[in-house]
Amino acid sequence: MIVCALLVVAVSAVPAAAGPADVATDISNEIMSPYCDGVTLHDCPSQAALDLRAKIQRWASAGWSKERIYERLETEFGAGIRAAPPARGAGSLAWVLPGLALLAGAGAAYSFARRWAGGSADGGTTPVAMSPSERARIDADLEALRGDTQSEVGA
Amino acid sequence: MPLQVQDSGLTGPLGSLGSLGSLGRPALLAALAFALLGLTLCALGATRDRRDLAAAGVRAVVATAVFVAFATFCLLTAFFAHDFSLDYVASYSSRSLTGPYTFTALWGGMEGSLLLWTLLLTVFAAIALTRAPARRSALVAWAGAVLCGISIFFLVLLAMPANPFAELASVPADGQGLNPLLQSPGMLIHPPLLYTGFVGFSIPFAFCIAALITRRLDDSWLRATRRWTLFAWSALSIGIVLGGAWAYTELGWGGYWAWDPVENASFMPWLTATAFLHSVVIQEKRRMLKVWNVSLILLTYVLAVFGTFLTRSGILSSIHTFAEGDTGKWFLPYLGVMLLGGLALIGSRLDSLRSENRFDSLLSRESAFLANNVLFVAAGFAVLWGTVYPIVNEAFTGVRLSVVPPFFNRVFAPIGLAIVALAGIGPLISWRRMSKGTFARVARPPALAGIATMIVLAAGGVRSIGALLALGISVFTAAAIVGEFARGSRVHRRREGSAWLESLRRTLTRNRRRYGGYIVHLGIVLMVIGFSGNAFKVERSAELAPNESMTVGAYSLTYVDHSSASTPEKEINEAVIAVSRGGERIATLRPQRNFHIAQRQTQSEVAIRTTPAEDLYLVLTSFDADATIVLRSFVNPLTWWIWAGAAVMLAGMIVLLWSPAPQAVPGPVPVRVRRTEVASR
Repeated sequence: MIVCALLVVAVSAVPAAAGPADVATDISNEIMSPYCDGVTLHDCPSQAALDLRAKIQRWASAGWSKERIYERLETEFGAGIRAAPPARGAGSLAWVLPGLALLAGAGAAYSFARRWAGGSADGGTTPVAMSPSERARIDADLEALRGDTQSEVGA
Repeated sequence: MPLQVQDSGLTGPLGSLGSLGSLGRPALLAALAFALLGLTLCALGATRDRRDLAAAGVRAVVATAVFVAFATFCLLTAFFAHDFSLDYVASYSSRSLTGPYTFTALWGGMEGSLLLWTLLLTVFAAIALTRAPARRSALVAWAGAVLCGISIFFLVLLAMPANPFAELASVPADGQGLNPLLQSPGMLIHPPLLYTGFVGFSIPFAFCIAALITRRLDDSWLRATRRWTLFAWSALSIGIVLGGAWAYTELGWGGYWAWDPVENASFMPWLTATAFLHSVVIQEKRRMLKVWNVSLILLTYVLAVFGTFLTRSGILSSIHTFAEGDTGKWFLPYLGVMLLGGLALIGSRLDSLRSENRFDSLLSRESAFLANNVLFVAAGFAVLWGTVYPIVNEAFTGVRLSVVPPFFNRVFAPIGLAIVALAGIGPLISWRRMSKGTFARVARPPALAGIATMIVLAAGGVRSIGALLALGISVFTAAAIVGEFARGSRVHRRREGSAWLESLRRTLTRNRRRYGGYIVHLGIVLMVIGFSGNAFKVERSAELAPNESMTVGAYSLTYVDHSSASTPEKEINEAVIAVSRGGERIATLRPQRNFHIAQRQTQSEVAIRTTPAEDLYLVLTSFDADATIVLRSFVNPLTWWIWAGAAVMLAGMIVLLWSPAPQAVPGPVPVRVRRTEVASR
């Protein structure tokens, strides 16, 4: 809650509107610097990079959309200026593959777990209805037992 | 061989020794000979079941470590004696380099980094093998053979393409000096910690391979290497955080993590090692996931070496690849042998790797651990894919695309948040099985805390969905963990009537592994809170003449004064910035723009005002002769929580490392016997 309060204070102190400077910052974070190897335009300290950022800010001030600015930059510096693959064509593979890997992993794990759980040696126990007080007492006993057992086993 | 002694002009024990550089290469060759001897003796001891040969092999490993340590000592004396006849010393130090940084120059370049790697490897191998119980002689002998094999690879690198003792034909009067970025207190410990982490995983990897060879695939190899795994993981974790802190304070771009290939190289093995640390608990407690565990430790080791390959080969551009060279091509066949050999070995032992138990229910802690593993490995894959995608794309399309933060943040953030959520769900679920009703009951309070947080933040003006989710999930997980501590303490209070604080202490000390893990989770939650602050980052840049002002966020910054000074290493230009908020002056910050003479390189020294709410971060990107400056300023909310979370994580790691090794859990009990026991109660 302390963190929430701090964040609310911090955020409320920050102007909310995204001006041309913010647009320039966003774009410079999403394109590579033509002047520094392996660094985004935002993180490139060279004067030429600062000039390009200023140019982007001027375009944003003139009302250019982000997509138009990107297209202009691609025309000037080539497709490699994008700091992330485009989410279309071959570039979409970059975005899709991690998700597919996660789904495949989750599917495999679920299938294994289900198969294992289905073959459980203890399977087939039927839950027994119990009163809230019984449940509370059993939970407390189990917690005590779990603490003892785990400290013995070291888990 | 005559010693080359240079006039050091330095005081202190190392400087007064003179350079022993000429002894370094013979020492490395002796180490290589002992490593070969160790490999032969350990392999013979293991195959012929001869304990005496295996013990002699272990002694050869110790001798290897001694000679590598001596070679490292020789290189250090060369640095402190300014022995510029050695190419490496001339390339990474200078006469003006001050004491501690003369020491860090040891790992300032590729050859020295590999020497440090080899030193750590051989020392860890010697300690692990000499401390391993004699009753596991076959396991230890094979582990010794594997560790010797790994040592031989690195010693061959040091003897051939990465010789740190190569001599120059003509000796320069002064060296080129150390990269100014590396002249930072963080560099004293960040690289050694990262290497400790990478190299530390060699020990569980070697014991895992030994267990596969000997078919002793119970959890004895896990117990023998548990502390090593934890130690390596802890060192890597702290190393990664320190790397972030170094980037934040030194690189001057206002951030701490750029998803750079070098950063990713350390993060990938961390992700798989974290998965391993969790799944190993299942094997220890339930004797399940054996194939998975051996695969994970193999993957962790291979990724650690793969990261080194990436950073040494120059195959990918990085903002902080300081140790690039032509050794990359040596790593590829080594990686291939390790990966394919390891997989083949696992494949040939599948019959011995069968689980001895089964899941009792899908709603169980085992399932939570399994889900955790899927997420960690998927996260590792996402980082790996993003890191190598530029190479893949270039191979197929001819266009060299870069993949930097926007991609990683979008792909990794959902998986990362799911992992944090699972860190809260896991402790709430019991082992073996749990009813849905009971789970709903125990999960309700932390879930309500998380939802309430999101509502409060949204009402307070927070509009970033990512930040709302991150903070809500963080609070949910923190509440679940704190609830676990409270529940454990309540049990102790009821049973022993002790005070709350004493009950909490007993809860922690009676099960250090479990609660140490929860403390680590709590630290990660605090770090995620810090990461969420990125959504509210503000940045402004302006050209200022003296007495001019600019605003960033709620701050007003006035350039009130400037000063210039010179030292033997650099020319310092400092701007004095008065910081006001709400019309009240609250601080004075002094960012610098310095020219490093030896390297002929200009470098910014950032100035930061840190509070738990936000950091004000100032960088001088230009300092003109007429004292006009270009000031880049950032307001970084909640960054303080990242470092606070790291400190909490460190506390948890200490508790974990302090916990006793787990005892062997008995094998599965036949169902008939268990029912009889239950019936007789």
